[in-house]
Amino acid sequence: MTTLAFAILLAACMVAYALNRRAATGIRDGGQRLHSVSGYHGLFALLMILVPVLVVILLWLVLQGTVVNTLVMSSLPDGTLDGLGKGQVDLILAEIQSIAGGRIFGEPEPWKIVAADRFTGLLQAASLGLVLVTVLLSLAIMLFARGKVSADFRARQGVEKIISGLMIFCSVVAVFTTVGIVASLAFETVKFLKLVPLTEFLFGTSWEPQIPIRADQVAAEGAFGWLPVIVGTIVITIVAIVIAIPIGLLSAIYLNEFAPKVVRSVCKPILEVLAGVPTVVYGFFAILVVAPAIRSLGAAWGIDVAPNTALAAGGVMGIMLVPFISSFADDALSAVPGSLRDGALALGATRAETVMNVLFPAAIPGIVGGVLLAVSRAIGETMIVVMAAGLMANLTLNPLESVTTVTVQIVTLLIGDTSFDNPKTLAAFALGMMLFIVTLIINIFALRIVRKYREAYD
Amino acid sequence: MDDLRAINNDVESNATKISAKNVQVYYGDTHAIKDVNVEIKEHTVTAFIGPSGCGKSTFLRSINRMNDTIDICRVEGDIRIDGQDIYDRNIDPVQLRARVGMVFQKPNPFPKSIYDNIAYGPKIHGLAKTKADMDEIVEKSLRRGAIWNEVKDRLHAPGTGLSGGQQQRLCIARAIATEPDVLLMDEPCSALDPIATSQVEELIDQLRESYTVVIVTHSMQQAARVSQKTAFFHLGSLVEYGTTDDIFTNPKDSRTESYISGRIG
Ligand SMILES: Nc1ncnc2c1ncn2[C@@H]1O[C@H](COP(=O)(O)OP(=O)(O)OP(=O)(O)O)[C@@H](O)[C@H]1O
Ligand SMILES: [Mg+2]
Repeated sequence: MTTLAFAILLAACMVAYALNRRAATGIRDGGQRLHSVSGYHGLFALLMILVPVLVVILLWLVLQGTVVNTLVMSSLPDGTLDGLGKGQVDLILAEIQSIAGGRIFGEPEPWKIVAADRFTGLLQAASLGLVLVTVLLSLAIMLFARGKVSADFRARQGVEKIISGLMIFCSVVAVFTTVGIVASLAFETVKFLKLVPLTEFLFGTSWEPQIPIRADQVAAEGAFGWLPVIVGTIVITIVAIVIAIPIGLLSAIYLNEFAPKVVRSVCKPILEVLAGVPTVVYGFFAILVVAPAIRSLGAAWGIDVAPNTALAAGGVMGIMLVPFISSFADDALSAVPGSLRDGALALGATRAETVMNVLFPAAIPGIVGGVLLAVSRAIGETMIVVMAAGLMANLTLNPLESVTTVTVQIVTLLIGDTSFDNPKTLAAFALGMMLFIVTLIINIFALRIVRKYREAYD
Repeated sequence: MDDLRAINNDVESNATKISAKNVQVYYGDTHAIKDVNVEIKEHTVTAFIGPSGCGKSTFLRSINRMNDTIDICRVEGDIRIDGQDIYDRNIDPVQLRARVGMVFQKPNPFPKSIYDNIAYGPKIHGLAKTKADMDEIVEKSLRRGAIWNEVKDRLHAPGTGLSGGQQQRLCIARAIATEPDVLLMDEPCSALDPIATSQVEELIDQLRESYTVVIVTHSMQQAARVSQKTAFFHLGSLVEYGTTDDIFTNPKDSRTESYISGRIG
């Protein structure tokens, strides 16, 4: 039935388009000059039907379930639901639905079977109603739009208004999704902060998110200080960035300014392949190659190195980020007008001087964008860290020790069957919230850098 | 004034600064410059004229080896400045370009301050020992670029914030700041209004005292106003080369005559 509704909508759109177009062409052939070409009259009718009817259909589909459920539940014999908790009521509803779907377990009470029949009937009525509404609404709008066709009618402007309305709607959706995500994070975070004081979370130096499973268990009280976790994230991110920035930038500069065409045409695709390697594979590489290598190097110099290190994870992450930075820097450098390059060369600057003093500063805004993206990815990266850096929350700045990161902890906190009302699970949301705030601050900071250079240069 | 010009215009006795013999330039398979021979005099403004695509820019760019920066470009033949072969293996193109300055058709100030735009060349060539030296070079160059009065109060404002004509004079000042002997200008006035154009033309006339100037132009009037010698290019060949007066009043080649009278181009 839903499919039928969509099919009707589609057909109505096409018919309306054809009708209006034909009508407009008729006016033109009658010798009058149209304000808008006939195609726009057709498009106007099409959009006039498509947008409102689509919205109605979608709203109908979203709401119909709730409405039908409420109707069924309120029609149960008086007193059936008296004194039942929400969970039990939901259970009854689920049972009715499964009976309606033909999955009957045991011998259900007769009133449940009645309710199930009612449920099926209501659903059918709802879909019939949907088709009916679609047909009527489409026809009504079609007539309305057809009535609009005249030589003076500004169909172009009409189409433009509808389309800009659509665009506004899409951006509103994007904004509201963001707001919704942040709000849900904030909501859970507040719940968490009711159980664990903010000061302990922000300044506590120990992260041991265990809680007693049963009330009578004599387990240690969990500790929820986020410092070791965020410091771990910072250490790994710094290691990654310190490796990625020089390699990424220098390779971009080389490929853009110095490399012969052949080298460039071979190296660029290879770098891009690097960007397509899944992070799990980088994780293998980190455990199987980099970590042992660091360990044996450390042993050779008499330094004690943990089997899982921030250095291994961060280093491999750095390699992963090279293509990001280099492709951004490459684009930014290519976007610098060739006349600046010529100007510097004609003054007797060498190629390196030209790059460093003229091209690079002009490309800074784009390059900062790439670096920023790389930082966000490093902070958000989980897989490599799970595999190569470990799960132990050590408060340390030493990259040769095992550390853990915010994202890894979020994953471990949410793995397994856990209810959503104990501090262990809620801590994951609090960590997520903090991660969001940190990335936000980095973004704002970087935007300011970019703007500062823009102002100075344009 | 007329007398002065008459004396100055007699440049035939000046020494030769740039001499080109049998120069060929190829872009891949395109033969863009065909067997050009020319002797450019010192302290003279020489104009290159000719229809679009005839190779004026290409030839100009081979005088400071800017063509080296184009992968597919190949220059053959012999170009000497002060008797020295500039395509010799021992010649460093970077040093050469410091001696042979270039101003482009489109003003291309660096995205830096006005001061830094001028100071950039002297800085990379180590022409100033102290900050005071540098200040002096900057002021001197801006004065010679006839733009000092307009920018002296905002030396640290971005050069890209100037008007088109000011930017072009800034670029001329920037080229002068490295103390070149030769100044190559590729249609320096094509982006300028008549007032800025006449300012730049006046400037070119003054520059002749210290430099050898080669200017590419599409405007006959401009060639006639600023240059003492004129070279007419057509389809990659140098058709006629002589004093500006001769070329404009008494051209020997029929192609020159048609171009000047507006029949080809
Ligand atoms: N980078 C290049 N690659 C390939 N061919 C080129 C290149 N630059 C110039 N050419 C070719 O060389 C010939 C001469 O070009 P050039 O730019 O020297 O002409 P021009 O006389 O300066 O013209 P205009 O007056 O339009 O500036 C043209 O046919 C042009 O297509
Ligand atoms: Mg040209």
